[in-house]
Amino acid sequence: MYLAPQPAGRVDQTLSHNMKLLAQHELGGFGGLGEGMGIQLTKDGRRILWLAHEGAPKNFSGVDVTDPRNPKLVVQTDLPHMKLRSNSLDVVGDIMAVAYQATTVGIKPAGVDLFDISTPERPKLISHFDCSGPHSRGVHAVWFVDGKYLHISSGAPDFEPRNPLDDQFYRILDVSNPAKPVEVGRWWYPGTRVGDDAPPPARLPPQFDMGFRTHNTNVFPERPDRAFVGYIDGGALVLDIGDLSNIKVVSKWNHSPPFNGFTHTVLPLFERGLWIVSDECVQDNGADWPKLVWVVDARNEANPVPISTFPAPSFDAFAKRGGRFGAHNLHENLPGPVSFRSDSIIIGSFFNAGVRVYDTSNPYQVQEIAYFVPGAPKLSPAGAIQLNDVYVDERRIVYTVDRFTGGLYVLEMNI
Amino acid sequence: MNVQRDPLVGKIPVTLITGFLGSGKTTLISKLVRHPDMRRVAVVINEIGEIGIDHDLVSTSSENISLLANGCICCSVRTDLQETLRDLFARRSVGEVLDFDRVIIETTGLADPAPVVQTLVSDTLLGAQFRLDGVITLVDAANGLSTLAQHPESVKQIVLADRIFLTKCDLVDAETVSELSQALHALNPGADLRPLSNGEVAPAALTQLGLASARASAATLSFLGESLLPQSPNQPQAVDSTATGEGAGRYLGQRTSRHDPAIATLALRFESPFTWTAFSAAMDLLVSLRGPDLLRLKGIVNVDGQPVVVQAVQHIFHPPVSLDQWPSADTGTRLVFITRNMDAALIRNLLQAVGAVGASAGVAY
Repeated sequence: MYLAPQPAGRVDQTLSHNMKLLAQHELGGFGGLGEGMGIQLTKDGRRILWLAHEGAPKNFSGVDVTDPRNPKLVVQTDLPHMKLRSNSLDVVGDIMAVAYQATTVGIKPAGVDLFDISTPERPKLISHFDCSGPHSRGVHAVWFVDGKYLHISSGAPDFEPRNPLDDQFYRILDVSNPAKPVEVGRWWYPGTRVGDDAPPPARLPPQFDMGFRTHNTNVFPERPDRAFVGYIDGGALVLDIGDLSNIKVVSKWNHSPPFNGFTHTVLPLFERGLWIVSDECVQDNGADWPKLVWVVDARNEANPVPISTFPAPSFDAFAKRGGRFGAHNLHENLPGPVSFRSDSIIIGSFFNAGVRVYDTSNPYQVQEIAYFVPGAPKLSPAGAIQLNDVYVDERRIVYTVDRFTGGLYVLEMNI
Repeated sequence: MNVQRDPLVGKIPVTLITGFLGSGKTTLISKLVRHPDMRRVAVVINEIGEIGIDHDLVSTSSENISLLANGCICCSVRTDLQETLRDLFARRSVGEVLDFDRVIIETTGLADPAPVVQTLVSDTLLGAQFRLDGVITLVDAANGLSTLAQHPESVKQIVLADRIFLTKCDLVDAETVSELSQALHALNPGADLRPLSNGEVAPAALTQLGLASARASAATLSFLGESLLPQSPNQPQAVDSTATGEGAGRYLGQRTSRHDPAIATLALRFESPFTWTAFSAAMDLLVSLRGPDLLRLKGIVNVDGQPVVVQAVQHIFHPPVSLDQWPSADTGTRLVFITRNMDAALIRNLLQAVGAVGASAGVAY
């Protein structure tokens, strides 16, 4: 295959279009961040951005972004040991939920913590919900937007998967009493648990087999009876959670095979009957390319139909630039008071291709309208930027984080 | 909150620089590309050899694109302008050329700027990424009047200009400058006229000419200009060039061209809202019958109560822009045409008639 010559653009070069860097914060040298971002408006009028770290030794950090040009680290906490990562968090009012996932099964603690962050400098643990077990690594992702239910991608002490890659499934915890979270619902992909009647699902080819487990489990106030679930190699699933004791599948769409799996986020645009579905790139140097963002027409939820993909950044320019290249997290139109919401403008993080903004007004022909690709952060083992997650506040300030060393980038978008 | 995209604000603004042969474009461009404020500006030039930038070159990323020490990107036209602009954007997005936030294009001396405007407006790929900010026209004070008399292209360059620079004023007497200024003003009263000496211009003087955002602000009013600002109720709703004699009347529509009496500026005002179907039908009709004589149109239209900015050059209409709110208390439709051999009453009657027919179309019986 003919590959065009490598463009002159280099990893040390910042690329920007309609986005301007206001500030970068390396978080005291611990600038490797995961995919947990949430903003708290404090009672004294400050705006604190909470960030989950990608891995040990740090747990989470709180950054005062009241003045987006001058972010200040106000608190940074440590994990109890090095075989743990927090990775994901969400904030509702003065309560923050933090996920804990261990490197292997059987390690404690693994589960989810609730913190009282009314004084951001001194987060106070309210409760720990244990999800550890002989076949569980704990919790990978949390979704917490209403103060009542916590939707998590988690293992459980009583859950034994047929395939160890399928250890995390969808669990719903009632946290109306944050001191005593209680499991009120769960759903797993039929055939993945030992003892299931259903046959085990067909695996992807070994180099792409990442498991039939949950990633994002999103529930929005517009449809409290629907959970929008990225089930990794199981594709995009929408579940009817109207009756928590009897959760049912209402939509199922999977592009893989022939694509290479890892469905990450299913973001519904309710007014338009669309889903924006993002994959996650999990291999370096374009080995699992293409990892895309898809537009799915779901006006008939029983028959979701893919209608387009977001125009992907140039393979030639980015695939060999260092680290991962492709889709990952989207800004998820969170319902809180400090979240950007749009049913047409979608913002995503694309690892070495930076953060990108798309206009989906014409869902058949999505346009890229802004991007920012920071130059390679100092000391990054990937050798290039690896933007992992993105959060946009209602002021249209874009917060995005590097997976290894770059920390937090605060950007302004001109759209 | 449901944020929608502003259709203009994120697009890369493009300034066209026109001017007849000998009007000083090359001098202007060669000074401009070395100006310290030209960082992140791409300049598209016809013949790069003419401006002598060798001593300022930092790197050459391809046969036709070079980076200067001040951060300005110089690009010569390879095949055609369309291809060049597409290529520039594609190379920018993969980091082959440095990011640029603005484009300045030098057109050839003989060029009618209208086809370049058409390229920007009608090429969907370019239209998605670029917007025409405005047209700058250079006029040589020594030869301006005779050029206007002899070359119809030069008249087009004046009519389409948002700003006119008078060059070589030091070579002629004050009376000639004044006579030329009056002729230019008569052809295009909306354009801002400035002297330019030896190509010394700040890049900021070439920018912020057009509508940059659909969010109404003071900049929207300044874009609409004096001719479209509110009138008091006792003033005539529409005036035309035939109403008064030659010369500078209080209203633009009362002014006629000393140079070419066939070219006139017509300011029309309508109080009743239009439906979009009716307004666009009237415009379609006007363009299909008299497109070549409709040199330029700019205005704000009350479409079912909402403000919509319209602009056209002959048959080429820019995409209409719905503003988020009225930029002032005046919610009347205001249109300024520059036309050739047309009577304001014809356009007014056409818009009124089609508007009235269109308004009753939706009434159920």
